[in-house]
Amino acid sequence: MLKMKNVSKVYRTDTVETHALREFSLTVDEGEFVSVTGPSGSGKTTFLNIAGLLEDLTSGTYELDGRDISKLNDKERSNVRNEKIGFIFQSFNLIPELNIFDNVDVPLRYRGFKADERKRRIEQSIEMVGLGSRLSHLPAQLSGGQQQRVAIARALAGEPRFLLADEPTGNLDTNMADSVLDLLGEINAAGTTIIMVTHELGLADRAKRNIFVRDGQVSDGAPELHLASMAAG
Amino acid sequence: MEIGPIWRAMWQSKGGYLLIGLQIAVTMAIMVNAFAIMQERASKMGRPSGIDEANTFALASVAFKPDLDYQSLIREDLEMLRNTPGVINAVVTNSFPLRQGGWSEGLHREPGVGKSVSSSAIYFVDEHGLETFGMNLVDGENFTPAQVAWDSDSDDFWPATVIITQALAEDLFPDHEGSYVGNTFWFNDDNPANIVGVVERLQAPWPTWTGVERSMLVPLIRESEFSRYVIRTEPGRRDELMPQIEEMLSASNKERIIRSVETAADARKLAYLGDSSMISILTFVIGLLTAITGLGIVGLASFSVARRKRQIGIRRALGATKTAIVRYFMIENFIVSSIGIVIGAILAVALNIFMVQAFALTPLAWYVIPIAMLILWTVGQVAVAGPARRASNVSPAIATRSS
Ligand SMILES: Nc1ncnc2c1ncn2[C@@H]1O[C@H](COP(=O)(O)OP(=O)(O)OP(=O)(O)O)[C@@H](O)[C@H]1O
Ligand SMILES: [Mg+2]
Repeated sequence: MLKMKNVSKVYRTDTVETHALREFSLTVDEGEFVSVTGPSGSGKTTFLNIAGLLEDLTSGTYELDGRDISKLNDKERSNVRNEKIGFIFQSFNLIPELNIFDNVDVPLRYRGFKADERKRRIEQSIEMVGLGSRLSHLPAQLSGGQQQRVAIARALAGEPRFLLADEPTGNLDTNMADSVLDLLGEINAAGTTIIMVTHELGLADRAKRNIFVRDGQVSDGAPELHLASMAAG
Repeated sequence: MEIGPIWRAMWQSKGGYLLIGLQIAVTMAIMVNAFAIMQERASKMGRPSGIDEANTFALASVAFKPDLDYQSLIREDLEMLRNTPGVINAVVTNSFPLRQGGWSEGLHREPGVGKSVSSSAIYFVDEHGLETFGMNLVDGENFTPAQVAWDSDSDDFWPATVIITQALAEDLFPDHEGSYVGNTFWFNDDNPANIVGVVERLQAPWPTWTGVERSMLVPLIRESEFSRYVIRTEPGRRDELMPQIEEMLSASNKERIIRSVETAADARKLAYLGDSSMISILTFVIGLLTAITGLGIVGLASFSVARRKRQIGIRRALGATKTAIVRYFMIENFIVSSIGIVIGAILAVALNIFMVQAFALTPLAWYVIPIAMLILWTVGQVAVAGPARRASNVSPAIATRSS
């Protein structure tokens, strides 16, 4: 369970303060599939980064699985990311120097799994995304859709409770986007909580719940509202 | 450990690592052989001369009045020196170890013209020579006063008794067993010398001579306008007595001058100047080379951290702790260093074999290579620590923020 209450995030540079999130409150329950939409610059990525413990919040409270995140030190935060959260990024973010097997292996090593356990999980998760025959390929030798599948396999191999995706289909064509969404649907059906940021309303509608973010705040609402806002933004 | 994937990732961009590995290898090879040379020089310098160096000094008396009675002058001088409080003993002699100038003779096992079988440095002393030099008599006896001869002009008078070093005895009589005392050898074709005593050690005046351990005491005082006195003081009193004695001798007889006042320690410094500067130069070269290699490692690591900033963020997002990021670069450096070091060790041994053959260098001591390895491993780890720490401070948010 994810629970944010009055979370604010302020980016300060020498000259400007940007309030990326203001009084942002949201609760996501176990097993939900939530899509997050909103205009560019509205704070979607900022929300996801805070949810995924990639960034600190400026004020407010954030509980993940009943733990107050602000009380954790860097090492504990790393461990929470490693054990509880899987990330999928718009630009895939595979490590270019590592082959598919080693890429999926990265979080598992940080987890401290034994070699045979890692191997089992890697093969299983790569099999699940349908790339079992490409284990020794480098990322550059795969298509974008395939790379994103590897990224999903990497996110899932540690069996995280939460899957956070920022524009996971942003760099993919419609067909590939569809198949990635199918995959996310399956993963969610298997019990993983998913929060997905997307621009595309068509994809957002495949989630069970839609969140609309505007000016750093949540505004639950109908798709029409989204459209109107996005047109305005 | 994560050596496998780190190694495979390095293999994707091997160029830079290869160059640094090679640099480490060359550094290693040079370092090891420089160590070997330094060690050889140091062990040469570490050989004891056989005299009480810390408490010994020498000076020369040069008479300028033509027909001075040199014998009485020397007797007076020695009397005065030996009675000076703080002086253990003093002797008049032609030279002393480390002085780099002296007398040597070819020696024969049989009388008559023939090829000499050995050679030796000669120190002319009286019965006080043994104590003045602080030598350890291991066999036989010291000279008696009666055995000491005075020689005023001719070079061909040789006393019939000598005290020789153990090394000279072994060289002269290689097959002899038991005491060397009583054995006879010959100088100058037909001057017999009977061994009355054997000392453990007394170096010849020339430290670079291969026969440096072969020398002998001959009980003879040469009367001439020039006499060299060697003076041994009680421990710690040398510096205080040196000017005092110089003053005293100058004052005692105005028809000569005192000069060439020098300590045995000065003589040692001078004698081994080449060796000690070689050690300094090599230390400098090794230091420079190691620093350059260290900087190369810093450079490569910094470049590598900058290039992989994004993937560091991704790793952090995937759960790498800061420690894990630091460790990554440490291990990477350890791999490069180890390869360089192993290749370097092979190069070092090859180079050493060549140097042993070409320059008669002594072969490497077993511990030189492990020490050099340790140094280079440490340098590598220290050099990579800064960039690695910088890497660990890359924000995990970079994974979502830049594309
Ligand atoms: N590191 C940063 N420093 C300063 N300002 C930042 C930083 N990161 C984000 N911002 C600002 O915070 C606000 C929210 O950014 P955020 O990336 O969350 O938007 P977004 O909703 O994800 O936009 P998009 O749809 O374009 O990805 C923006 O105004 C952005 O410029
Ligand atoms: Mg964004």
